[in-house]
Amino acid sequence: LFYSFFKSLVGKDVVVELKNDLICGTLHSVDQYLNIKLTDINVTDPEKYPHMLSVKNCFIRGSVVRYVQLPADEVDTQLLQDAARKEAMQQKQ
Amino acid sequence: MSDKEHQQNSQESDKPTQPEWPENGGKWSDTEEDPNMDCQLQAMAEEDEEINIYNDETFGMEMDTPDAEDASLLQFAPPPPAPPSLDNKVPPLPCSPSPPIRQVSRTPPGRCNRGRGLQGTLGRGQMFEDPAVMRMVEGRPSIKTLDSAIVDCGSTLYRKPFEENWMGPTHKKTQKTSQSILEDSAIVCVINGHRGRGQNLNCDFIDLPPPVPFFRGRRGEPRGSFARRQFSQREPSQIPPPMLPGSPIFPRQPLTPRQHFNQTNRFIFPSNRPCPSTPKMMQLRFGANSPRPSPFYSPSSNPVQRFRYPDPVTQLHPHHKRQLVQKQRMFQRKSEGWDPWCNLMTAKEKEWITRLQMIQLQSENPYLEDYYYQEYYRRLEAKLAEEELGIRGKKEPPKLTTPYITKTDAYTPVVHIEGSLGQVAVSTCYSPRRAISAVHAQPAYGQHEEHKDTRQQRLELLSKIEKLFIVLLEVEETERTKTKVLSDTEERRLMEKTQRKVDHIWFQMQHHDPLNSTGEFLPFLLLSKGKKLIARLLPFLKRDLSLKILRIVTCNLPTLMNRDSEESLPVLYPPFRNVIGGLTFSQLIGILRDLTSSEAMSAYECLALTCQNKFGLSLLYALLSQGEKLLSSGVPLEPSIGDFEAWTDTIYQVAGQLSQCSLVEPLLLPSNLLTLFCRYLDKRTVYQLKSNMESATGCLALPS
Repeated sequence: LFYSFFKSLVGKDVVVELKNDLICGTLHSVDQYLNIKLTDINVTDPEKYPHMLSVKNCFIRGSVVRYVQLPADEVDTQLLQDAARKEAMQQKQ
Repeated sequence: MSDKEHQQNSQESDKPTQPEWPENGGKWSDTEEDPNMDCQLQAMAEEDEEINIYNDETFGMEMDTPDAEDASLLQFAPPPPAPPSLDNKVPPLPCSPSPPIRQVSRTPPGRCNRGRGLQGTLGRGQMFEDPAVMRMVEGRPSIKTLDSAIVDCGSTLYRKPFEENWMGPTHKKTQKTSQSILEDSAIVCVINGHRGRGQNLNCDFIDLPPPVPFFRGRRGEPRGSFARRQFSQREPSQIPPPMLPGSPIFPRQPLTPRQHFNQTNRFIFPSNRPCPSTPKMMQLRFGANSPRPSPFYSPSSNPVQRFRYPDPVTQLHPHHKRQLVQKQRMFQRKSEGWDPWCNLMTAKEKEWITRLQMIQLQSENPYLEDYYYQEYYRRLEAKLAEEELGIRGKKEPPKLTTPYITKTDAYTPVVHIEGSLGQVAVSTCYSPRRAISAVHAQPAYGQHEEHKDTRQQRLELLSKIEKLFIVLLEVEETERTKTKVLSDTEERRLMEKTQRKVDHIWFQMQHHDPLNSTGEFLPFLLLSKGKKLIARLLPFLKRDLSLKILRIVTCNLPTLMNRDSEESLPVLYPPFRNVIGGLTFSQLIGILRDLTSSEAMSAYECLALTCQNKFGLSLLYALLSQGEKLLSSGVPLEPSIGDFEAWTDTIYQVAGQLSQCSLVEPLLLPSNLLTLFCRYLDKRTVYQLKSNMESATGCLALPS
């Protein structure tokens, strides 16, 4: 479900909140493990991790993501609810 | 220098003796014992030669010398060993890919050696005994070919590590770094070599003249890296089939060496060398699933491409693709320079990995499993199409998604042990962790009975709504699929099914709680989720049923408006509008009467409330508009007795309300309202009404 959801967000600007840090960038791609590739990133918090200064693209392993902040207008909540229901249905089967 | 070599070789001997390829390392260390540098070198050279031949057979690069056992002639030129010996060297590697890679990384020096040696044959006879020397030599700017190759790849970064190596050759670490970098550069060279060989000479390649001579010299290098990659690639090929289900996808066969050779005329390769490529060797070498370093133009080597598409294997919705392209165009920055690591993997390898992932995502029902994505873009498209006012263009090509196949294997669903609570926690690849679904326990700790009751009821309601939603989704699904051409009987069957589902939902909502006196549907209407459910159900309901709902809504409008804390009533507006559009006059009057009559409040108050509420006001407008439409349409209305009076009464009341109190902005302002009012009221009132309505909405009420 979420893979499908994130696929629809490819190309949009998101803020990925990791378990230790905060990165914002453009969602380049996502895979089934919800690993995320961001392009054109910059670290939002005071850049405590200066080695990120030179980095433009990054690959984030899905398991270290805590949150992903999304633009609200890119999300259709109704659709998301439906998709969740369908998913639940599928799981029961 | 020799100590460096010793170091390196001791490294190799440290490795546990393993078959084939590490045995090569062992061999090196064996030869290491020789004090005589020449013997050492010769052994290494022989080793290299064998591997070279292996490579050549693999890749069809004709070697300089025929069967030269005369290593003396070309100490670094590879004589062709017998294939069987090569077989011994290249059997299946049991270990994981990384050790081979590491081990392989030890070959580059040898490779380089050989390469250098080849260059020696071309007139560059220098001393390259020591791989460390090799590296240092490479670091020197005089070795323009290497550097230019690096520059070719755009990895100017590579220079620095080489320089580092130059400064501190004794550091193992730098050795390793250099090795890895060599690896990288070798891979890069491979790609370039491939590019050249495959004659996929694109502009990138042609634009860089320096590498041309480089390729001739670097033949050794690419081969070395080929060997490396072959070894590493053979890992996957040796993995038992179940682990690589994607084999059917890779039907390609490597070009025969002859073909390879034919393709490359720009290389100085002697043609008289036989290419013993037994099918067996081919099989051994080319696992069906491994990415082959085929002549491939790596798309990522395009310096301009900053925002790469997901691979071509990833299939995007065409709308999505368009969006991405647009965005890319908008934000086309000037290229900030070459990405130094863009060629670490060939496109083939990348594609292979992507395909592996995609295999797991294959689904036979993309609409179901990829629901959100598909639906989202479908709706977006529909919206855009609407916005463009019918400039729809050509029909969209069929959507592509993660590839879908018809699954042949049946997958056993959740194992359920009778009598246990919930499900067994079996993790499959489809559901990595299935939590045991806990039985909903009744809260036992003390609470107010009524609160508990209300909450309980609410929960019950919500769960009921969810269940009904599922049915509704099925209905919508069948509706969506109904657009396909079906036979009559099938269509009828589908419709019956749909109808049954709709009836089921209706029944459930109607008789939710027979003891409860609040009336049918009302509990559902009070919840925003219920409102959404009803709103989506309405299109499927028959006329009388939907009318019933409308009546209930209008009767209880004050209550609904009061308790609509989430402002979700407007979700009901569009379907109601449709319903109203189909009303007859008497029905309309009935509804209006309901609106204005209520137990607790007078008509005035009702109307006042209604006007204060967005939904209520919009509903009112819609009703009036419908009445006006009916009246002015000229169709015989068949009114019942007292209809017209009620109608005019309502008009007056509404007019009075509208002109006096402040209005909220309705969801939609019908255009024929003022006409209606003009008919019954005097001009001044109409004008007042108009200004009032317009002030609320900010737009003209009527072009009259």
